[in-house]
Order: sequence, then structure tokens, then C-alpha cells
Amino acid sequence: MEHETLFPLLCETANGNKTAFAELYNLTSAQMYAVALKMLKRPELADEAIQDAYIKIWHNAGQYQRGKGTVFTWMLSIARYRALDLMRYHKVRNEVDLSEDTHSPVSTDESALSDAELQKLEACMGELEPSQRQAIHLAYVNGLSHQEVEAHMASPLGTIKSWIRRGLQSLQRCLSL
Amino acid sequence: MNYLNEQRRNALAAEYVLGTLRGKARARYQKLMMQYQLIAETTALWEQYLGGLNQRVPPVKPPPRVWEAICAQIDPASVTESANSPSSSDGTSDDNIVAFERKRRKQSRLFSGVAAAAALMMAVLLVTLSEPVVAPIERVAIFSDTDNQPLWIIEISGDSLNVRVTDALAAVSDKDYQLWMAPADGGAPISLGLLPKNGDITRIPPEMLLDKNVTVLAVSLEPLGGSPNGSPTDVLYHTNIFSV
Repeated sequence: MEHETLFPLLCETANGNKTAFAELYNLTSAQMYAVALKMLKRPELADEAIQDAYIKIWHNAGQYQRGKGTVFTWMLSIARYRALDLMRYHKVRNEVDLSEDTHSPVSTDESALSDAELQKLEACMGELEPSQRQAIHLAYVNGLSHQEVEAHMASPLGTIKSWIRRGLQSLQRCLSL
Repeated sequence: MNYLNEQRRNALAAEYVLGTLRGKARARYQKLMMQYQLIAETTALWEQYLGGLNQRVPPVKPPPRVWEAICAQIDPASVTESANSPSSSDGTSDDNIVAFERKRRKQSRLFSGVAAAAALMMAVLLVTLSEPVVAPIERVAIFSDTDNQPLWIIEISGDSLNVRVTDALAAVSDKDYQLWMAPADGGAPISLGLLPKNGDITRIPPEMLLDKNVTVLAVSLEPLGGSPNGSPTDVLYHTNIFSV
């Protein structure tokens, strides 16, 4: 999807083509909305995050640089950062349903990254210690702060920060090989 | 501190993308990204590294009102087209405001095409029956320029924040206007979204705006797309909110 579809649509969007922008929205909004909703929990805030993200994408489509990553990753980052802003402004207390599975491997259902990249990410996440993997997952996918991860995992704040820092270092070593 | 040191640069970029770099440290990092190409590139690399973690989140289709609101902001004239947008192609809507606007358009078409009194009465009856209950306006605010010409009229009810633009606004095309509220606790301004340059928009107000202790709104001038750092860039106007 990424190379064949999203990139040409983003190029057309940069030229002011509203039909292309609508198609881009059609193809990506469900995943973008799911990510925002996962972080913000409240639908009205997820609405706002996604709305602001797509308006920014509309205005800044021409600033995308292919060398820096896929179109979808670029779009998703805009939505995630907006969601993080809204969490702070609205003082969203982020808690995770304990029934949620925060250990599962990465699925390969979607295609923002290639299958090979996803398999590598999954393999590298699998090499982390379980506590490191869970802490990174809680922060990235659920939008939890260090303190919220501390509360969720019932471990000291210093330990949480260490898990995340060392986990990220291990992940980088593994992914850059 | 040397932010370009490889280890520090990667540690900061990773925590920024992860979302655990917060508050003033996050704002400082955003400035560093603008200042140093290498830091921006490292951030993009981490976005790519971690991006796959979100792909196990099951997709959730956003409600049609989201697309409607996007269309209203990028091109108010296209709002009619947006009723046929991909996200609302099933014809359903869970948003009373959007549904009301669509019905109002249908109403206006009906009135223009029907001359017979009987049909007119039928149309009135249909609209009366189908209009959703709209919460009464509780608070209003008006932004005026230095000549006291009103520019934006804000109406707040329990479930909607409606903004209307007057023809006194001479909008600039290369900038956006952003609406902010000052929290009752004296904290940092909270964005209420971009303001329209013409026409009107309706969105869901955050719960904090319904707090009667929130009495001040502000408008800032921003780069297209809104504030780049979550804070107002250039505050142009502020006004009080009044109860009605």
C-alpha cells in the first residue's frame, strides 16, 4: 500500500487535490483513529487529535521527505504527537485495562512497514527482557508517562526509566544491524 | 550539554518518539529539532523504528463528524461534498450536529423547489419531526478588532462549541488563527482548535471549557496547520466569556 498508493496520494494532496486527500483519509484514518483512541481513551479527544492531524497533513504534505520514513509513519507521528499534546492539556489520566495484552508480538496485518521490517521489529522486541518490552509498549502504544508505567508495573520509577532506556538501546542495536 | 553526541542524541530522540520526554524537556527538544538537522533525522529514524508497534492496534473507523470537521476547516465550501465522503458513505451518523446541518441543507433545497402549500406544510412537518434536540446556548464570547468590529462569535452549549466568522475579518491566507482557553487553575493555555476564516464550524467542547470559572478565551496567529509547539505563537486577541 505504502509505495504504490499512499505516496502518490500524498503528492497529489500537496498539489491541493482534495479527492486524493479524501482517498488518503479513507485508507489511513481507521488506523490513525485507533492509535489516538488507544492513547486518549475519550472519543471526543481522539476526534480532535485526528482532525488536527489531518489538517496539518493537508497543509504540510509537501514537507514530507521520503528518505526519512514511510508516508504512514510520518502521518502517524503527527497524530501521536497531537494526542500527546492533548493528553497534557486535558490532564488525561492514563490507565491501562489490565485485561489488555501488552505483551503480544507485533502483528503483520497492516502495511506501513514492509513485512521484513515488521518481522525484524518483532524479532528485536522479542529479544528484550519482558519488563523492558512491556514498559516500552505501555509508553508507546498506550501513551503512558514514566510515572504511569511505574503505577501500572508496580516497580520504582528509577527501575522503570532504566528498563525503558536500556530496552531502547538494545532495540536500536538490534534494528540497526 | 552536547546534544549531538550520538548516544545522547539517540536516547533523547527515542524518548521523544516514545512519548516519555514531557513538559519543558519536550519543548526544548522540539526546538533542537528545528535547530539541528541531525537531531531531526535521528527523530525520524526512531519514528520509523517504533512505528510498527502501533500496527497491532485494531483499526477503528472514525465517526463521520471528523471528516466533516476537516472539510470545514480546509475548505468550507466543500462541506456539502463531504456528506459523500468515504467515511460517511454508509449514510450513518452518530453526531447530532452534523446530522442537523445535513437536514438543514435538505430543508433549504426542499423549500426552494416546492411551491404548493400542501408540500410546504409537509416539509415543515418533516423537518419539525426530524430535527434533533439542540442544547441551549449557555455562554458566548465575541472577539473584536481594535475598531470594535466583531470578528468571531463563539457560542458554547453543553454539547457544542460553535464559531461564526463575520465579514469584518480580513483573513490572511498564509497563516491560521487558533482559539485558546485559559484554564481556571492558571495553567498553560489549552488549544480549542483552529478558527475558520469564513463560514462557521461546530465542534465538541472539552469538559474544562464548561467550567464556569473559565472566563477568558484568546486567539493567536499561527503558521498554517496550527501552533507548532502546542503553545500560542502570537496572541492577537483575548476576550471574556459571558453567560446568557
